[in-house]
Order: sequence, then structure tokens, then C-alpha cells
Amino acid sequence: MNPVFDLVGVALVIIATLLIGVYGLRVSRTTGDFFVASRTVRPVWNASAISGEYLSAGTFLGLSGLVLLEGARGFWFPIGYAAGYLLVLVFVAAPLRRSGAYTIPDFIEARLESQRARRVTSLAVLVIGWLYIVPQLHGAGLTLTVVAGLPPWVGEVAIAVLVAGSVAAGGMRAITYVQAFQYWLKLLALLIPLVCIVFALTGGPHDIDPVAVFPVEAGPAGFGLYETVSLMLALLLGTMGLPHVLVRFYTSPTGVSARQTTVLVIVMVSAFYAVSSGMGLVSRMLAPDLADPAVADTAALVLPSRVFPGLFGELLTALVVSGAFAAFLATSAGLIVSLAGVVSQDVFSGSVRSFRISAVLCAAVPLAIALLTAPAGLGSSVGMVFVFAASMLSPVVLLGVWWAGLTARGAVAGIVTGGVACAVSLVVHAAVGGIGVAAPLLAQPAAWTIPLATAVSVGVSLLDTRGAPSRADRYLARLHTPERG
Amino acid sequence: MTEHPPRRVRVTADAPSDGSRSPSPSKAAATRGIALPGSRVDDADAVYARALRRSQLRLALGTVAGFVVVTAVLTLVIVLIPEIDQVIVAGLPLSWILHAFAFYPVIILFALLYARGAARNERAFRALDERG
Repeated sequence: MNPVFDLVGVALVIIATLLIGVYGLRVSRTTGDFFVASRTVRPVWNASAISGEYLSAGTFLGLSGLVLLEGARGFWFPIGYAAGYLLVLVFVAAPLRRSGAYTIPDFIEARLESQRARRVTSLAVLVIGWLYIVPQLHGAGLTLTVVAGLPPWVGEVAIAVLVAGSVAAGGMRAITYVQAFQYWLKLLALLIPLVCIVFALTGGPHDIDPVAVFPVEAGPAGFGLYETVSLMLALLLGTMGLPHVLVRFYTSPTGVSARQTTVLVIVMVSAFYAVSSGMGLVSRMLAPDLADPAVADTAALVLPSRVFPGLFGELLTALVVSGAFAAFLATSAGLIVSLAGVVSQDVFSGSVRSFRISAVLCAAVPLAIALLTAPAGLGSSVGMVFVFAASMLSPVVLLGVWWAGLTARGAVAGIVTGGVACAVSLVVHAAVGGIGVAAPLLAQPAAWTIPLATAVSVGVSLLDTRGAPSRADRYLARLHTPERG
Repeated sequence: MTEHPPRRVRVTADAPSDGSRSPSPSKAAATRGIALPGSRVDDADAVYARALRRSQLRLALGTVAGFVVVTAVLTLVIVLIPEIDQVIVAGLPLSWILHAFAFYPVIILFALLYARGAARNERAFRALDERG
């Protein structure tokens, strides 16, 4: 590996990001531009931007690591992420666009007419967003350590500063173009090396024994039913609870175009995940020695130079490194835009100035967490965020869009129950590693925390003496009625 | 001269014994519109909107159910048929290849089916809305 090429690659990504950001700054003038790009982004651009934002370190580097460590079980993660968008499409994409709100807390407040429900939702959004940014920062630290021997904090600080700066400068409009560019960069940064490696493998003689490299126990048949179902539930339902996913629908001009955009997103992320899964398969063939939790996530970075020693391999590595940086940048930027939107409206006045201050604050907290903790598998860390999002926000958002009977107390009870249940089970699991038959229930709690949070929301709403807001039915009609024209 | 007066009375008293009903419905509708402005139209809107909401929810749940069934069947085929593990394609067991790539076309197919169905539901709603 040649650190000079890799650092030049990273620098080019950063310069391109800043240039597109500055271009965006010239066209974003109003508060609306800052928060939601004035709702004028075309479906193809918007879909590229959503995909660019969604594809994080968890799949760019983490998927190869997971497939190396755990075999075919790792494939469930990208399948769940892509299918999560199917649920976003069928349940919330068009209605949320028509709600006219900027963020999830805005939607909850408008739907339930309650400041308290809004504040609890904002808190949940912040916790989920921060948990999601931490693995992105860890990924950046890890990448610079592997390719240039720099200490992990360099990459973590670099990404946090860069993202906070560009979000504060350009808002959502700039970010949309940056992320659309980053989707295509990420796709090509894995696709080109993968095609080259597969070409080299089929061309030259190789002595890979399929039975040894892809043992049946690590294959699709080798893992438990409960864990798989619970993981899939978390990934499927978690997507609609992610703060940066919902805010994106507000940039589509109508509910119908929000739906078209979502279909495009599903196609785009599926294409990326297929490529990324291919990288995972190749990693098992060529880099079985990296199957160690400490280094597994570096597989995609190391592979090109193993297959192609010399200049070509170094250039391919630089390409992968740039793509990885695009992944860290895009996801953290998208998260910080939506978190800053929430903080600036809840804590400050909602002006452009307060959006900038909030962006810096929202990058500082996860940076502190990232500096204080050690990376623990990028793929699994991101999976854990989905468990929280699926248990805290998804039931409330779903009920809010489809059930007129939801009340503010019901929503608050559901969010708190979901969050506490997930946190307790994951903490207990981390502390004692599971107790007998309860071990899988603690390791993958989504299968019981999501129904529990939903049941509590519905139960408390039904018992609530204050009842649902009188305008709930009319609000729901607005969410599901197509725009005129 | 005296054989017609009863007929005049019958028309205003809304007793259609002579078979000519056409004036009475239009008059009734006009009176209703003046008596309760807007409310009738709102009611119809609410009924249509609720019907649209129900049909969209049915479509959404049907799409998810279909997706879950197809995914479960595909998973069971990959997991339960050991012969799939023995088939080696380009150096890889077929079961791994299917697991890595076969689910995405299923997701895309259901997304397209849903988007078409949802647009159809909205078109039907618009047609009703414009008529009423």
C-alpha cells in the first residue's frame, strides 16, 4: 500500500465535497433551503442523495468484515437495509411528504398536538443519530490507521470537523448534491476493484477449495431462526425510524414523487449491496487470515493490493479508501443535517444561525464518544442502531400515519418503553453475555421490544382519558390524499 | 277550462303520478346546497379519504405479506435443500451466491408492484373526487 496515493484520494474526496458544498452555498439562501433544500430536488438526484447518505461505513467496510467473521449471516444485514426501504415506501414515504413537516419531531407535534411528545421524540432522534455517527467516525479512524499508519483520532477528528463545517456552511441544499456525487463514488469505488479482482481470479490459476472457504456451518443454513428473524425485524422496521431517512422525503415536491424516489433508492442501494456482498465473498477467498474481529473490517481496503502488487493495486486501494471516506462523510453529514434541524428548532429559535451552532454541537458529542470508545465491528454497531430506531421511533411513526387513535401519552409511553427495553437488554447482554435460554432474547431484542413498544403505545392511547386530537382524522386524510394538479 | 287545476297542484306538491320526475331531484339538490353550504361535500370527501386510506393500507400490508412469504420460501429453499450447497458455480457454492444476490430482485419487484398499485388507488380516488 502506498499512503501517498491513499491520502491524495482522501484529499480529492474532501476537495470535491467542499467545492460542491460551496456551489450549493451559492444557491441556498433561505431557511427553507437550509432545512430541506426548498423541496425542489428532482427524483434521480434525490434518490442518489438518499442512497449516498444511507450507505455507510457499516456496509462499505463492515459487510466484508462480517462475511469474513460470520459467513453468510452477514448477508442478512444489507438485505434488511434494502428491504427496510420497501417498508418505508409502502407505509410512510408519500404520507410523510404530505405531512408538511421538516423532521420527525415536527411530524409528531403536528399529528399529536403536543409539545411534550415532540420533546421526547427529539431526544430519541438525538440518541439514535449520535449512536449512528460513532461507527462512521470509528471507520474513518480505522481506515487512516490501516492505510497511513496514523493514530485513530486523526481520522475521527477530521471527519467530524469537515462534516460539521460543510453542514453549517451549506445546509441541506449543498448536502444533497454532495451526497448524490458520493453515491456514485461509493458504487464505483467498490465495483471497479471487484471487477478487476474477479477478472484476475478467473484468469489466473488458483487453488481455492470451495468447501474449505465456504463451509456449510458458516453458510446460510448455519444460524438460528430466532436470531435471524429478530435481526430482520430490526433492520426492516429500523430504517423508517432513522432520523436522516425521513427528513429526505421532505425534499420531494409531492407525495407521488416521494414514492418514485423511494423506488429508485431501493434499486440504487440494492445495486451497491450486491457489489458489497461480492466483495465479502472475494474476501473469504483471498483474505481468510483477516478473520479476526480487530482487523476484519479492513478486508476491503487490503484486498486490491494483495491481488495486484505494484502500482495498479496501490491505485485501486486509493480508490477504495476514497469511497470509504465518501461513506463516512455522507452518512455523518446527513445525520448531522437532520439532528441540527431538530436541535435548532427545539432548543434555539430555528433560524439559520442557530442551525449552524446546532450542527457544530451535534458533531461534537459523537466525536467525544468515538474518542472515548474502541471500535467494535462496524457492521454490528450499525445493526444495533437499527434495533433502537425500530423499537423507539418506528412504532410511533407507523401508528401516527395510519391510526387516528394514537395520543400524545401513548406515543411518549411507546418511545420510552422501546428505548428502555433495548438499552436494558443490550447492557445486560454486554455485562453477563446472556443467561441460558434468554441469551438470544438479550442479544437480538428487536423481536420482543418492537411488539412491546407498539402494544404499550396502543394500550396507553386507548386508556388515555384525554383521547386523540379532534383533528386527527382530518390530518390523516391529508396524509393519504394525493395532491391536486 | 276547469279540467286542469288539480294537475297544477300535483306538480308543486311533489306527487309524480303522471310519470314526469325530472324537475324534482334537481330542485331538491339545489335546496340542500343552500340550506347547508359545504357540509355535504365535506362528508363525501371524508368518506372517500377514509376509503382511500383503507385501500392504501390493504395494499401496503398485502405487499409486505407477499414479500415476507417469498423471502421465507427462498430462505427455506437455500437452508433446507442440502444439494444447493454441493453445486459449485465459479468456485462458490450456489447457496452462498443465492443468499448474497437473490433477495434484491425480490425487494425491487415488490417495490414496483406497490408503487403501481398505490398510483392506481390514487387515480380511482381522484376520479371519485372529481365526480362528487
